[in-house]
Amino acid sequence: MEDLLHMSALIQLRIDGELHELEVLPNATLLDVLRDEVGKKGTHMGCRTGHCGACTVMIDGKVAKSCITLAASLPRATITTIEGLQQDGEMGPIQQAFWDEAGLQCGYCAPGILLSTAELLADNHQPSAAEVDQALAGNLCRCTGYQSIKRAVHSACVRMYPDQETGIEEG
Amino acid sequence: MSTSQADSKGYVGKFVRTKEGRAPLLGKAKYTNDYTFAGQLYAHILRSPHASAVINSVDVSGAKKVAGVRLVMSGREVAEYTNPITDYLDPAVFGGKSADIRPMAVDRAWCFGQPVAIVVADDANIARYAASRIQVDYTPLEAVTDAEQALAEDAPRVVPEWDDNLLMYVPFVFGDTDSAFASAAHVVSTEVGIHRFSTQPMETRCYNAVWEHDTESITLYATSQNPHPLRLVLAETLRMPENKIRIIASTIGGAFGMKMHGHPEESLLCLMAKLTGRPVKWVESREECLLIGAREQRHYLEMAFDDEGRMLGLRDRFYANLGAPSACPGWGMAFLTGLTMPGPYRVRDIDVQVHAVNTNKPSWNAARGYGKESTAIALELAMDHAARQLGMSPVELRLKNFIRHDEFPYGSPTGLMYDSGDYGGALSKALDAINHEDWLEKQAQALAEGRYIGIGVAFELTPEGGAIPGTMVAGYDSSTVRVGPDGTVRVLTGITSPGTGNATGIAQIVADELGVDIDHIEVLQGDTNASPYGFGNYSGRSTIVGGGSAALAAQDVRKMIDKVAAALLEVDLEALEFQDGLYFGRGKPGTPLSFAEVCYAAYTRAYDVALCIEPPLEVTRTFRPPSIRHTPDKNGHINPYPSYSNAAYVSVCEVDRETGKVELLAISAAHDCGKVINPVLVEGQACGAIGFGLGGVLSEEITFDEGGRQLTRSFVDYVMPRMSDVPDITMVHHDSPNPDTYLGLKGAGEAGVGGSAAAVVNSVNNALQPLGVLIHDLPLSPPRVWAAIQAAEGGH
Repeated sequence: MEDLLHMSALIQLRIDGELHELEVLPNATLLDVLRDEVGKKGTHMGCRTGHCGACTVMIDGKVAKSCITLAASLPRATITTIEGLQQDGEMGPIQQAFWDEAGLQCGYCAPGILLSTAELLADNHQPSAAEVDQALAGNLCRCTGYQSIKRAVHSACVRMYPDQETGIEEG
Repeated sequence: MSTSQADSKGYVGKFVRTKEGRAPLLGKAKYTNDYTFAGQLYAHILRSPHASAVINSVDVSGAKKVAGVRLVMSGREVAEYTNPITDYLDPAVFGGKSADIRPMAVDRAWCFGQPVAIVVADDANIARYAASRIQVDYTPLEAVTDAEQALAEDAPRVVPEWDDNLLMYVPFVFGDTDSAFASAAHVVSTEVGIHRFSTQPMETRCYNAVWEHDTESITLYATSQNPHPLRLVLAETLRMPENKIRIIASTIGGAFGMKMHGHPEESLLCLMAKLTGRPVKWVESREECLLIGAREQRHYLEMAFDDEGRMLGLRDRFYANLGAPSACPGWGMAFLTGLTMPGPYRVRDIDVQVHAVNTNKPSWNAARGYGKESTAIALELAMDHAARQLGMSPVELRLKNFIRHDEFPYGSPTGLMYDSGDYGGALSKALDAINHEDWLEKQAQALAEGRYIGIGVAFELTPEGGAIPGTMVAGYDSSTVRVGPDGTVRVLTGITSPGTGNATGIAQIVADELGVDIDHIEVLQGDTNASPYGFGNYSGRSTIVGGGSAALAAQDVRKMIDKVAAALLEVDLEALEFQDGLYFGRGKPGTPLSFAEVCYAAYTRAYDVALCIEPPLEVTRTFRPPSIRHTPDKNGHINPYPSYSNAAYVSVCEVDRETGKVELLAISAAHDCGKVINPVLVEGQACGAIGFGLGGVLSEEITFDEGGRQLTRSFVDYVMPRMSDVPDITMVHHDSPNPDTYLGLKGAGEAGVGGSAAAVVNSVNNALQPLGVLIHDLPLSPPRVWAAIQAAEGGH
């Protein structure tokens, strides 16, 4: 592909805290750049049409489907992948909650489920069940029937905001 | 001596987590697509745009000119290097027809999406582009896409050499159905149309074949549920000795039957690696994944009842639309649908006729439930229909006809030997769990307000852990337990995990049998060079035979360690005590020995204290469930299953009269999977299966145009449940231990699909009863429900 490099764009991404300068082709998706150029294999391909959410990352703090995001559209951005959720080498509170509740089974959908949960809980300390549904509406899971995921999101909320009187409200 | 085996102090029966579940949460799990090797090449497969066509020529010259292309082959060229793909389950073993299944179409395409040519290139985009430069000259033929039409005498033949399109006809005919129907007070006919829907794991299939130049062998990294049997198929297809092929099935992102083998890409990728001498990877697109179908059946049921509602006879003639012939085991689902009749009911006079029909749709593969979900859907919709006709409640009619809990073991008319169960008890528990009485009140209130709430029940029997004589569906499996000189434990299993957590369950069992900390146990699965020969993951078998064989091996290793400990402590075995990881002699003062110290002695003192054992501390054992019987009884029946899990389901829904949209309000399930090793993981399995069931009957559907071209190409068209579509599921256990397995295990994982699906449909029809609407053609998608409501209202 070297002969196509004259078409490439230079982008600067801070990915999970580490700065990367990358030459990307105009048609390269963020998913392929993350997986193949940066080695972030924790971000997964499920459909390439933006429906399943296995490729979810955070771009400047907001979740996005990396399979339908062109890397060249992000000349400068901060990206958080599932691999950036650890804190000081330990599982972060959301990961710990999903671990404690056996929130996932095969784990292929984890990037989307965990990052969508992170986005929700970042500024909503007491989400209603409907808000959880809404926040995770872009993420398909085929293993759990979502029951354990709901439990885990609740548990993550309690972990992150122990001073709140209740976690997720019913209804 | 005292032991700490599998008692209340141990891990079995508790919610335990092991490292197995940690890697995916960190983004560190290695799925097949995460492996990339030096010199990696990528394949793209060109597929037939026609359901049926003669292939006049395949001109690959245009593709070969594209820079970066390494190899291009047509089906005819591939056929020179390969044998037909060996069937996972040969229909001929069951009296059916066999076809030559080639990795790619040769001269004729028999379904939309069949591989026609393959390109291998330096990257996936180049391969895809180059494939568009291949010129294929087709003469399209008339396609047959409906199973019943495919049986017409003048129907086009899917396999030109065959006399008809009937892959297999199986009658399950027992007793005297004619007399039963002649003496019946009521006969209820029900026609049930089950549509084509699929498993669609979040991880699509992926194969990365590596040619090993030093050993002239192939290593295939594969999304495979059954690495050892796949290895044999590849050996036969590729004309290679089996010991020159290694399969590595790493972390799998869901399988649900779809990753059982027979797929053309498995052997194709190996051939590409062999011919290029380089690693070649193929990642299935979602569009390709959606080609793999399952379940489409039309049932014509008749049930005969006496005047008290006892079922006297059952007739069911059904037609399964299998699509084109395939080496995958999907077709066997149709056989199982028949074999599992009449499910949980006591009726003895049955006439069930299975028509397994090939058409020009893409092929099936195995799908969670493996045909037993279709038995449940057909039977349970018909039972509700019968209850309406007889003026009985659906619960009352079922309770009257269930096999009673004191009748086990129970020989079914088709020859299955149900091990245990309490079907009536399970149904009562499921009704209590959802507060059935409250919902009846709410339903009446809602109706008075012009809203339509429905309550539906259903029951599901799922024989699991199957073994079919003369096939690689083997029933038994093996595990190795290896304790190192430092006392840490490696378990190698012949079963695999598609992401279900069975490695955790096996670690719990081994930890209890050895009396060690579960963190000292590593479970390795899915590498044919490391694991004992095994049959992998299918039929809810993994914990029954994987856990059972690991328990036997661990018990044997533990006996060896005990002997060495007794020798070291200079006490009799009877006086040996083991507590909290320490060995000591009863009535013998002195320093206790740690488990690790004893293990070290077993390795290092083979000529004195360890003379009493044969080192190393490693045992391989097989668990062969004793209740499987392949010697026919006097009726010619075999019992292919060791375990008959079962469950009752209740669904509550509300149907929007204006839009036809079904909203599920609550679901309950009472599940009998025998002894529970890890309650949270088992419930996770059941809830996942329920998600399959409700998605399957409410929104998931694979459709075709009249010419047999598939219309469902992405998740825009294939609508799977999202979080808001799944209500809270109340799960209760109603366990009756299996008398014939380790600790009383039954299978888990398959139960949930058919029972929940049927309960949901029954709840929708219950909701719509006041409108005079009854739908037995699935799925109950909003347009279909809306149209049925409109039709009923138009008829007023």
